[in-house]
Amino acid sequence: MNAIEVRDLRRVFRATIGTIRRRTKEVVAVDGISFDVRDGELFGLLGPNGAGKTTTVKMLTTLLIPTGGTATILGHDVVQGAGSIRPRIGFIFGGERGLYWRLSAKDNLRYFADLYHMDPDIAKRRLPELLELVGLTGREDEKVEGYSRGMRQRLHVARCLLHDPQVLFLDEPTMGLDPVGARELRQVIQNLVSQDKTVFLTTHYMFEADALCERVAVINHGQIVALDSPEGLKGHVEDLSVIEVEVFGIAPAMVDALRQMADVDTVSVEDRDQKQSLRIHSPLGSAIVPQIMQRLDGNGARVGRVTVREPTLEDAYVRLVGGEV
Amino acid sequence: MIANLRVIRTTFELDLKQQAVDLFMIFGVVIQPLLIAIMAIYMLLERDASRGIYVVVGSGMTGLWTSLLFRGAFNINAERFMGTLEGIVASPSALATVVIGKTLASVTLSLLSMIFSYGLASLVFRLPLSVAQPVPFLLSLLVMVPTFIAFGLLISPLMAVNLSLSGWVNALEYPMYILGGFLFPILLLPGWSNPLSYVLAPYWAARVLHATSSGVATPADVLLSWAMMLLLGILYIAASYRLFKVVLRRARVDATLSLM
Repeated sequence: MNAIEVRDLRRVFRATIGTIRRRTKEVVAVDGISFDVRDGELFGLLGPNGAGKTTTVKMLTTLLIPTGGTATILGHDVVQGAGSIRPRIGFIFGGERGLYWRLSAKDNLRYFADLYHMDPDIAKRRLPELLELVGLTGREDEKVEGYSRGMRQRLHVARCLLHDPQVLFLDEPTMGLDPVGARELRQVIQNLVSQDKTVFLTTHYMFEADALCERVAVINHGQIVALDSPEGLKGHVEDLSVIEVEVFGIAPAMVDALRQMADVDTVSVEDRDQKQSLRIHSPLGSAIVPQIMQRLDGNGARVGRVTVREPTLEDAYVRLVGGEV
Repeated sequence: MIANLRVIRTTFELDLKQQAVDLFMIFGVVIQPLLIAIMAIYMLLERDASRGIYVVVGSGMTGLWTSLLFRGAFNINAERFMGTLEGIVASPSALATVVIGKTLASVTLSLLSMIFSYGLASLVFRLPLSVAQPVPFLLSLLVMVPTFIAFGLLISPLMAVNLSLSGWVNALEYPMYILGGFLFPILLLPGWSNPLSYVLAPYWAARVLHATSSGVATPADVLLSWAMMLLLGILYIAASYRLFKVVLRRARVDATLSLM
């Protein structure tokens, strides 16, 4: 049975621009996506910032009404059956908001337990268990405003699990966490699946999707560009090599010029302090390096280390989203 | 039903905790009514010191209204800014239940305005203060609380419909002091403005509290005020029920449940 079924889901936002001559601008955030998530599956939605991940989660959690298409959670429509869905789902949106900062962690959880109409005795038993699970035991009486970002994120996890939901929506749950905190949270997520929960995870970290998800949908510009297992996604870059070039202060026009080269598939840029790292996908491997160097030298770019390597899952993702990372 | 009452109780308790450390609420509930009371006492001392209780009730009502108006207006918006509105809306509890708990906290806290004004007039200005008809006065206070909660229920979704509407809150503060007859009788106002007062529950609350504290209330007066408070309260609840539905639907369409 499918826990989540999505058909041609679409969401358009309208924004008014201009002061005197006001115009309405339409932005298509989600553009007709379709997919199913099986009961008990850990499903990933992977995409760059602004790809439509959060909008999708907000529609699935009944917080946003779709402009078109349908979505059902546990057989209930997200618009007509919102009341039946809400007690059965839990969600975390990345970031620190969504908690009462002037209250303690315990008061926050107590409040949400009441909002979910939990039996007070069950809530009383569950609170210490969850605090233990997220590593906040001993800190539960402190106000949330004194918590670190990681502690707040862990409190979000406890809040999300409080009413024992069947389906969990985790929207970039590790965003902003330090590596240790993120690893611990990933462990918690993995444990959820062993408890037969269905987890819908959005992330823009390929390795996170790879480590956790059974299947991954890659979304870009509101459309699903690939849906496969992590292993299946790797197949998208089997024919390519990756050339990494360290450069200092490269202009966007130069990057565009590289993208125009024959036999260059995608080019992405990652800023690293004073320098940038260019990641170029090409079927030619090291054979294309002289042409790249010639193009860079011709435009006066300062070039550092150059390496050629086999592609990874992250490269598959970069290729699927056209270098927009 | 019990689950909803638990939501109201917990919201009340936790909102009270948060409001108690909110400097703006402390200003609205304690400092501003005291300033109004001081001003009114000086005006009164020139004329008739025996009406000190009128000042206490009137300035207390100003505190009550300020608290109700501002908290009512920002109840939903504050949750939106904190990012907690989505958590509430996505829960099985109705948003109105949460607003009831919050408004109850505001009303309870703002009743302190009356106590502070009483203490100021009695201890600092040594005015003779006594409630002439204490039983009807206390019963009127009890009737007033649910009526004010109903008024809060109406204000909250109204202000949440459109964020720019909440900017009008400041403009609504002082007209109620006048139309509600908090500090002087509405008979001093032009006759055309009186019907406006009659559809405002705070006017009937101020009227009966002033009358019972000053000892001029007849049983018919008291019953009329209570009946009007309850009737208006029911009308406010009916209107707010529809408003909450509209607000939540619009928020889900317009994507305004959070600051995305």
